[in-house]
Amino acid sequence: MQELREVLLNTLLAAGLYATMSYGLAVIYGVMRIINLAHAGLMMLAAYVTFALYTRYEMDPFLSLVVVIPLFFLLGVLLHRFVVRRLPRTTGTPTMQSLLLLFGVWLVLQNLAYALWTGDTQSILTPYTLKSVTLLGVRVGVPNLLVFGVSALSLLALNFVLKRTYLGRAIRAVTQNRDAALLSGIDADRLSAITFGAGTAFAAIAGTSLSTLYAFTPDFGRSFLLKAFCIIVLGGMESFTGVAAGALVLAFLENALAAWTPIPTSFQDAISFTLLVLVLVAVPQGLPGIARKVARWRASS
Amino acid sequence: MPADAGGATPILSVRSLSKRFEGLLALGGVSFDVEKGQIFGVIGPNGAGKTTLFSCIVGSLVPTSGEILFRKRRIGGLPNDAVVRRGVVRTHQIVRPFREMTVAQNVSVGALFGRGKRRGAEAASRVAAVLETTGLSHRAGALAGTLTIGELKRLEIARALATEPEVICLDEVMGGLNPSEILAAMALIRTIRDAGVTVLMIEHHIHAVVGVSDRILVLNFGEKIAEGTPREVVADPDVVAAYLGDETNPLLEECVS
Repeated sequence: MQELREVLLNTLLAAGLYATMSYGLAVIYGVMRIINLAHAGLMMLAAYVTFALYTRYEMDPFLSLVVVIPLFFLLGVLLHRFVVRRLPRTTGTPTMQSLLLLFGVWLVLQNLAYALWTGDTQSILTPYTLKSVTLLGVRVGVPNLLVFGVSALSLLALNFVLKRTYLGRAIRAVTQNRDAALLSGIDADRLSAITFGAGTAFAAIAGTSLSTLYAFTPDFGRSFLLKAFCIIVLGGMESFTGVAAGALVLAFLENALAAWTPIPTSFQDAISFTLLVLVLVAVPQGLPGIARKVARWRASS
Repeated sequence: MPADAGGATPILSVRSLSKRFEGLLALGGVSFDVEKGQIFGVIGPNGAGKTTLFSCIVGSLVPTSGEILFRKRRIGGLPNDAVVRRGVVRTHQIVRPFREMTVAQNVSVGALFGRGKRRGAEAASRVAAVLETTGLSHRAGALAGTLTIGELKRLEIARALATEPEVICLDEVMGGLNPSEILAAMALIRTIRDAGVTVLMIEHHIHAVVGVSDRILVLNFGEKIAEGTPREVVADPDVVAAYLGDETNPLLEECVS
């Protein structure tokens, strides 16, 4: 019972962070049909910016989001304006050019970080980094709780924007049918810039969050990008509830396998990788595909 | 409404428009003018370049050469969304709904982001008016994915109308409709024109085009072979030979009479 509670609570805490980093990718994919391979680099860069603000100005990492979020939104808009916008327009699947271009951006960001901060492992040690509290009989690290709070707030904000604002209506329209959205007069160029900014800001929120939990180097972020891929493939690429479900499934598998099987925690990254392959082979449409199949099966029986 | 050549300046003017796809000449120097308030039919056999023409006008394709003037301003080569915000919109032969939105939400996208850029209550009343015109009011709350093909075609028109266009290009809105639906569609096209919107329409259903158009343009292999009133066009020997086939087609006489 204790173990189950532990697994479920840890699942929830991890899923919040996973969803935050996946939504950044998903929203960009939905609007622009681009897979942002630079996502990992942007998470890494946000971790370093948070680190720099902490060491130089003693700014609390969570408080530094007030600076980091607008900064990275702007960075995303500029990246779109001067790099991504030059790609040929695409309505279908992501092009090889877009993948290579954004992979290149990732490499540039990595080398920038090496130049600025060297390859040494860095970490942020705040007075509460090693503190923990007891919640429902489970010991939980204070940073983990704060990260969950930040994730929950970002997801609520995203949900509000998507469901309740005109901007959100435009994003959903382009995601569902780009041609029809253009024919309705939606300014795709401006919307793409905003979306790329928002996706980058979500990468930054995830990066800052991760910097309070893990040590990092300029190579940081790769395994988390893989997890995000796994989640959006599982969630069905375009479905926002699907992404949340995908994040929960991955977080649960990681925690459950660590608690109830002899698989060592160092194998956690292998779980997302295995899941990614299994989903692509068995249910390429992800969870929404399974849901549709179940619905059809229930309707026919 | 007779077309009066040399009258007021045309609302839409196409000059020597050409579009080439890797060696294939889809449009070869087509020119014509559309007057404000006209219903302007575009006909021609499959592959004549009709849809390519519409795509160039609304900016989903960049013309190889030539000009498209809307109210004397060049719109050829502008991106699709920019053309819509200036007041020229199209519908597609293959419908493109937002499947996970309701009918009203689909139409609201046009009202919110089109030429009118309506907000709040203004957007809502625009949506309601357009749904009324297109006969979709009773389906306002239905998900677009659940509509019939006839309803989807009307939804496509409704969303385009919601952008408050001055010119609407209808691409085969009658395809796949039954005779009574076609009569309703013809009435709808007249209603749209009477509301002050200039209509360009591609249509295979010859009775419908001849019945509703003020002027007709005939394309064949990317070139204009005739232009004039419906009566002139169906009597044109080139048109009869190229498009309508049999010279003594009784259907045609029925059309013009």
